[in-house]
Amino acid sequence: MRFRYAMVCSSNQNRSMEAHFLLKRQGLDVASYGTGSHVKLPGPSAREPNVYDFGTPYKQMFDELRRKDPELYKRNGILQMLKRNLNVKLAPQRWQDNAGDGVFDVVMTFEEKVFDSVLEDLNNREQSLMKTILVMNLEVKDNHEEAAIGGRLASELCQEIEGNETWEDTIDDIVAGFEKQQRRKLVYSISFY
Amino acid sequence: VLLLCAAPPLVCRRDSSSSSPTLKNPKRTASGTLTISPPFRNSSIRISNSVMATAARAQALSLLAAANNHGDLAVKLSSLRQVKELLLSLEPSLSAEIFPYLAELHSSPETLVRKSLVEIIEEVGLRMLDHSYVLLTVLLVLAKDEDPVVAKNAISVGTAFYCTILEEMAMQFHHRGKVYRWVGELWTWMVKFKDAVFSTALEPGCVGVKVLALKFMETFILLFTPDASDPEKIFNEGSRKMFNISWLVGGHPILNSAMLMSEANRTFGILLDLIHSAGRLPGALTITVVSCLAVVARKRPVHYNSFLSVLLDFHPNLESVKGCHAASVQYSIRTALLGFLRCTSSPMIESRDKLLRALRAMNAADVADQVLRQVDKLIRNNERAARENWSGKNNQAINHQNSWDLSKKRIMPQGEDDTVNGEVAPKRLRHNNNMHLTPKGQISDSPHGTVSINGISSGNHPSDSEPTPVEQMVSMIGALLAEGDRGASSLEILISKLHPDMLADIVITSMKHLPSNPPTLTTSLATPADIVVSSSINPMRSPTRQPQLPFDSTLPFGSSLSDVPSLNAVVDPRRDPRRDPRRMDPRRSNPSVGPTSLPGDEGKETVPVQMDISTVASKPPSVPDVTAGTGGSVHPTTVDHSQNKVMGSSIIRRIDQPDCREDLLPIPKEYGYLSKGKSPLDVPLSPCRDDEGIRNTKLDLDLVSVPDFNQHSPSEAGPDFELHPPVDSNITAAEESYRELAPVPSYVELTTEQSNTVGKLALQRIIESNRHVCGFDCNKIRMALIARLIAQIDAGNDVAAILRAHISVDHREFKGHELVLHVLYHLDSMANLDTDESSSYATVYENFLIAVARSFLDTLPPFDKSFSRLFGEAPHLPDSAIKLLNELCSTRPDPVGGEACDSERVTQGLGVVWSLILVRPNERKACLAIALNCSVHYEEDIRAKAIRLVTNKLYHLTYISEHVEQFATDRLLTAVNSETDFSQTAEGTNIEAKSQITSTSDSPRSGNSDIHSQQDLQTSRDVSVLSFSEAQRLISLFFALCKKKPSLLRLVFEVYGKAPKTVIQAFHRHMPILIRELGSSYIELLPIISDPPKGSENLLTLVLQILTQELAPSLDLIATVKHLYETKLKDVSILIPLLSSLTKDEVLPIFPPLLNLPPDKFQLALAHILQGSAHTGPALTPAEVLIAIHEVVPDKDGPTLKKITDACSACFEQRTVFTQQVLAKALGQMVDRTPLPLLFMRTVIQAIDAFPTLVDFVMGILSKLVSRQIWRLPKLWPGFLKCVSQTQPHSFPVLLELPMPQLESIMKKFPDLRPSLTAYANQPTIRASLPNSALSVLGLDSGQDSRPQMHPSDAASSVHGAALT
Repeated sequence: MRFRYAMVCSSNQNRSMEAHFLLKRQGLDVASYGTGSHVKLPGPSAREPNVYDFGTPYKQMFDELRRKDPELYKRNGILQMLKRNLNVKLAPQRWQDNAGDGVFDVVMTFEEKVFDSVLEDLNNREQSLMKTILVMNLEVKDNHEEAAIGGRLASELCQEIEGNETWEDTIDDIVAGFEKQQRRKLVYSISFY
Repeated sequence: VLLLCAAPPLVCRRDSSSSSPTLKNPKRTASGTLTISPPFRNSSIRISNSVMATAARAQALSLLAAANNHGDLAVKLSSLRQVKELLLSLEPSLSAEIFPYLAELHSSPETLVRKSLVEIIEEVGLRMLDHSYVLLTVLLVLAKDEDPVVAKNAISVGTAFYCTILEEMAMQFHHRGKVYRWVGELWTWMVKFKDAVFSTALEPGCVGVKVLALKFMETFILLFTPDASDPEKIFNEGSRKMFNISWLVGGHPILNSAMLMSEANRTFGILLDLIHSAGRLPGALTITVVSCLAVVARKRPVHYNSFLSVLLDFHPNLESVKGCHAASVQYSIRTALLGFLRCTSSPMIESRDKLLRALRAMNAADVADQVLRQVDKLIRNNERAARENWSGKNNQAINHQNSWDLSKKRIMPQGEDDTVNGEVAPKRLRHNNNMHLTPKGQISDSPHGTVSINGISSGNHPSDSEPTPVEQMVSMIGALLAEGDRGASSLEILISKLHPDMLADIVITSMKHLPSNPPTLTTSLATPADIVVSSSINPMRSPTRQPQLPFDSTLPFGSSLSDVPSLNAVVDPRRDPRRDPRRMDPRRSNPSVGPTSLPGDEGKETVPVQMDISTVASKPPSVPDVTAGTGGSVHPTTVDHSQNKVMGSSIIRRIDQPDCREDLLPIPKEYGYLSKGKSPLDVPLSPCRDDEGIRNTKLDLDLVSVPDFNQHSPSEAGPDFELHPPVDSNITAAEESYRELAPVPSYVELTTEQSNTVGKLALQRIIESNRHVCGFDCNKIRMALIARLIAQIDAGNDVAAILRAHISVDHREFKGHELVLHVLYHLDSMANLDTDESSSYATVYENFLIAVARSFLDTLPPFDKSFSRLFGEAPHLPDSAIKLLNELCSTRPDPVGGEACDSERVTQGLGVVWSLILVRPNERKACLAIALNCSVHYEEDIRAKAIRLVTNKLYHLTYISEHVEQFATDRLLTAVNSETDFSQTAEGTNIEAKSQITSTSDSPRSGNSDIHSQQDLQTSRDVSVLSFSEAQRLISLFFALCKKKPSLLRLVFEVYGKAPKTVIQAFHRHMPILIRELGSSYIELLPIISDPPKGSENLLTLVLQILTQELAPSLDLIATVKHLYETKLKDVSILIPLLSSLTKDEVLPIFPPLLNLPPDKFQLALAHILQGSAHTGPALTPAEVLIAIHEVVPDKDGPTLKKITDACSACFEQRTVFTQQVLAKALGQMVDRTPLPLLFMRTVIQAIDAFPTLVDFVMGILSKLVSRQIWRLPKLWPGFLKCVSQTQPHSFPVLLELPMPQLESIMKKFPDLRPSLTAYANQPTIRASLPNSALSVLGLDSGQDSRPQMHPSDAASSVHGAALT
C-alpha cells in the first residue's frame, strides 16, 4: 500500500530531515515540515541562535554559516546537517503554511509540542474530504545522535505501516508492539482532511 | 469532420485493447493506453452532436465491456479511465444513458475496479447530479463493500453527495420555491445511505471503515445542529458554506428541520455512548469518536457541555484492554481539551477553569497555560480590530441591519416560503417603523388564502420587508414548539446557544405580542395551551387570507402606492406546525416557553406583532376590520407618509377565513397586528394534509400575484385608505374570538416618571441578582436586558449612578466592562436607528458614557486600564468625552489629589489619547490636539510626558506626523517671533540690530566683529517678553521631534539669528542634549552644517563643539566643515572643535587665522591642537606649535605682531605643556632657520626667564647666533644684547666671541658690563685665549698682568662648558 508520509519537527532541519532522508532513501513517498514560527539553528551561544524564515534554502544557510564561522559550525555538526538537507530538498517548509501540499496518510512528529501543533492545525482546516490521517508522535531529542536514532525508528515504523492495506485496524497493535520492542513511548491520533 | 475527429479515439482504443492481450507485461499496456489518451481526450471534447453521441455511446459500452470482462486488470482500469473521460465529455443526459451499464461494475470481483468505479461516480455524478440516481444506488452498495478501501471511498464520496444534495434541495427551495422531484428521489437514497453508514459505524467491522462512518456521523450532526451563533456566515452566500439546518428556518417541503435536529441530537448521544463503551472498542475508534465529538463541540457549542462532562468523567481502565493503545486515547482527550481551551466562544471560556484543572491532572499544565496566553493575545487583537471597525462607522448598527437584510434576501428570494414572510414580515415592518406607528386598516380578501406580499415587496424595499434575524428565530422557535415533545429538546439546545443579545431581542419582541387588553380566561382554560387550542380553532373557518401591504415610510405618496401585494403562497404543509398533533401535548403548555416565544399567529385575527412599548402605551385599542370573503380581490391600503408622518407605515391585514379546511393555508401567519385585544397565540391545528393541493395552490398564487400587482394602482389605494382610518377596528371580532379566555392582569399605563422609576427598580434588581448568580449565560442575558432598560428609561445620570458601583466593582473581571459596552452599543444603535429624535438616545448615550468614565476616574487607580478600554471600545465618543479627556490630560485637578497621583492621571490620560489616536480615526484629530496642547503645557511634568508620547509614538504614525511637525514648527516660530513683534514696536534698537545682522553676514570674513555684533544684538534683546521657561515650553516639542528627524534642525538654524536671547538660551540648553541623543545619526545634520543659514554661526560652533566633545569627528564631518570654511564661512573658529582631528599639514595653513582669534578662542584652539585624537595623536607637538607660531609673519590682514606675542605668552603660560625640554627643542630648531623668526630672541629671553636652568643651553644658542652674525639682523640684535645682558655672567664667553666692533658697542651700550667682563677676561686662562684686540677693547692690554693669574682654570672650564652644552 502506498501511503504518503510527512515528517514534522520544529525547524525542519534535524529530526524531520533525518527521517525524511531515510524514508526517501527507502523509496517511500515522504515530505517533511516544521511547525515553529522560524527556523532556528544554534549560534555561537545559546542566546544568539541563527534564525531564518521558512523557505530560506538550505544552501543559503549553509553558505552563510560557513562564511560566519566555519570552525564552529563544523564542530557542532550544523554544516554537515545542512549539507545533508540541501541534498534532500530545497528549503525548510512550515507545516501550517503548506496545507496545499495535498493529503498525507501518515504524519510522524518528533516532539509533543509539534504533535499538538499538527493536530490543532488539522483541526482548524476545513475537514471536507473525509480522508483519515494518522498522526504519530515519537519523542526525539533535538541533537544529531538522537535524530539519527529517531529517524531510523520512524522509518521502521513507517515501513511497518506501509505493509498494511489500512492502518486503522492495526495501528493499536503496531504502536503497542513498537513501544514494547523499542522501549520508547509512542502516541498516535487520528484526524481528517 | 466530426467523424474524422472522432475516429482517432476509436482507433486508439481498438489498438490498445487489441494489442494489450498480447502483451505480457501489464504495466506496458497501461503505459500504452496512457499515451493514447491525450488525443482521445482532445477529440472527445468536440463530440457534441447526435452522430457523435451514438458513436460515443457505442464506444463507452465497449469500453465498459472491456472493463468488466477483460482478463487483464490494467486493461480494465485504463478502459474505465477512458469511460470516465468520455462520460465527462458528453451531455449529461447522454452520459446518464450509460450509467446503468457502469453501475454493473459494482459487482466486479476486482477491488481496483470497484475503487475506480467509486472515483468515477464521484467525478461524474457530482457534475450531473440530476442524473446520478443510478450511481447513488451503486454507492449505497459499495459503502458496504467487503474491501475496506472501496467502502471507505464510497462513504466519503457518499458524504459529498449527501451534502451536495442537501444543499441543492435547500437552494432550490429558496430560489424557486419548490424542490424538483429528482432531488427528492435522490434524497430518499441519501437517507438510506445515511442509515447504512450509521449501521456500519455501530456494527462490528473494519475499523478503517468505521472511522469514516463516525466522521460521517459528525458531519451529520454538524449539518443538522443549528449554527445560529454566527448567522451572518450562514447567509453569506459568497463563501460557499456547508449546508446548515438554519437554512431551513422558513421550513422546507421535504426536510423536516425539527425531526432532523432531533436526529442529530440522537446521533450525538450515540457518539457519547460510544465513549462510554470505550473499553470494548479499538483505540483508533475511541480516538476518532473523541476527535469527532470535539469537532462537533467546537463548532456547535450547544453540545459542548455535555461532551465536556463525558470527557472529564472518562477514566476507564484501558490498559488491560487488548488492541487499544491507552496512552493515545488519553492523549486524544488532552488534545480535545486543549482545542477547547483555544476556542473563544462563551461556553468554552466559561469552563476554562474546568479545562485547566483537567489538563493539570494530565500533566499538561504548561501547554495549557501557553495556549491560554495565545488565546488571550488573539482575543485582544481581535478586540482591537473590532474596535477599529466599530469606530470607523457611525452607522454600524444600521449597516449591520442592512447586511442582514441583503444577505437574507439573496438566500430567500421571491419565490420562497411564505411561512417565513407571512409571519415575519409584518413584524419586520413594525420593527423598523416602531417609533411612529399607526396602523391603518385595510382588508382584502384573497380567495387563495395566502397573504404574503413580501416576496415582491422585498424587491422594492429590501430593508423593510425582509424578516429580521430575531423574527426568524421567533418563527423557528415557534416551529419547534409546534413539534411538541420532540421539538422541545431541540428548542432547549437552540435557546441555550443563542447569542444572549438575540435572546434578549427575542424576549422583548415576544413581549410585544402580549395582549395589552388581556383576554379573559375562564378558570378551566387558564393555561396557555388552552389558549392555543381555543384560538387555533377559530381561524380554521377562513380559508382565505389577505395580502398585506408593506409600506415604506420614506417613499413619497405616489411611489408608496406601487407597493403591491403579491400572493406567494408557497407553503410547506409538512412543516405546518398545525399538522402536528403533538401541539396539543399538555406539556407544551409550559408557560415558560409557550406564550413568550410563540409568534402571534392567529388566523383570522390580527395580532400585534412588534410593538414598541411607547407605541403600545399611546395607542388606542384597535382591531382590524374583518371583511368577509370578497372573492379573492385584494385591497391594499396605502399610507402616505410624506403627508402623514405620524402614522407610520403599518398595514393591517385582515382575513376572513372560510371554514373550508381543505383549502389549507399552509402558513401560520399574522394577518395583521394591532395593539389591543390580541394574545400571542399558537398556530392553529390543521388537519389538512393535501400536499398536492397545496402545491397547486402555490402555483396558482404565483400566477395570480402578477395581475394583483397591476390591479392596485395608487389611485385605487388612496381612497381605500381614506375609508380605513387607523382607528378603524373591529373590536367585536376580537372580543368574540377571545371570549372564552380568562382575565390576566390588566395593562397599566405608566407615566414617564413611573416607568422610569420602575425601570430603575428593575435595573437594581437585575444588578442585585447578578451578585448572587454568576452563570455566564445569565450574565449575558442580564446585560442585554440592562442595555434595553437603560435605553427605554431615559435617565442617564441616575442610571449611571446605579450602575456605577456595580460596574467599578466588577470591572476588573471584565464583566462590568462588557456590560458597559453592551449598554453603550445598544444605546448607540438606538440613537442611530432613531433618526428623527436622535437627540434623546444620543443624550442618554453621552450621559451614560461620561458618567461611567468619571466614575472610573474617581474610583479606580490611575494605572487601571478600564478607562482606556471604555473609551477605546465605546461605539463613538461624543465631544464631551473628548473634553473630559482633555481635562484629564491637561488640568491639574485639586491640590488635594497630591502631586504623584496627578501626574499618574496625566500619564493615564495621555495613554488613552494615544490608544484612541490609534484605534479611532474619527476622534484622531481631537485626541491629537489634546496631545499636542499638552506638549506645550505650562506644567513641565505634563509637557515632558506629552512630548514623550508625541515624539516616541505619534510622530511615527505617517498620517499625523505632518500635523505634529507643523504644530511644533508653529510653536517654535511663535517663540522666535514673539520678540520681534514686541521689539519692533517698542524698541528702535531692534532695527539697528537687524542692520547689524545683515552687515555682518555680508562680510563673513570679519568673524570677530560678526560675533561681537551678535552679542550686541542679543544684549539689545535683553528686554524680553518671553521668559526662559516660556521659551523652553514652546520649543521643547520641536527639539524632541528633531531627535526623530534631525533635518528639522535647519529651521532652528534659520531662526537662530533673529531669535530673542531667552530663546537662544533655550536653544543652547537643548542642543547638547539633542546632539548627544542623536548619536551617530548626526550625519543627517551635515547638509545643514555644510550650508548654515546666516546668523547661525554661533549655533554652528556650538553644535560642532558638542559633536566633537566626546567622539572624534567623522571624516564626513571634517570634510564638510573644512569645505564650509574654505568656501562660504571664512570664520576659522568653526574649525576649532575639529582641530584635534586634523593633521599637521591641515593645521599649519590655518595657523595664522587661528592666531588672529581672540585669546580665549586661541587658547581653545591650542588645546584642541595639542590634545589630538586618540588615533592619530596630536596634530602638532608643543614644540611644533611654538615653531609654527614663530613662523607666522605679522601682517596687517592677518595676525598682528601683538597677536603673535600674545600667542607665545599663552604658550608659556602652559608650563606643563611647554616644558623646558619643549622650549629647548623648539629653540634649537628655530636657531637654524633662515631667516630667524622675528620673535626668536624674545622667546629666548622668555624661556630663560621661565626656566633659568636653561641658561647653559641658551648660551649655546647665543653662541650659534654669534656665529650667524646676529649683529647683522637689526630686529634681533637688540634682543640678543638684552639677553646677553640679562644672562651675565654666563654670557661672558659668548660676548667675548663677538667681533671687536660689536663688543665695543656693547660695552658702550651696557657700561655696567665692562667691570665684570673685564674681571672675567682678566683671568689668566681666559686672557691667554683672547686675542689682543679683545683685550684692548676691555682695556686689558696695558699691563694688568696680575689678573689673568687669578682663576685661570675657572674661566676655561666655564667657556668650555658653554661650548659643550
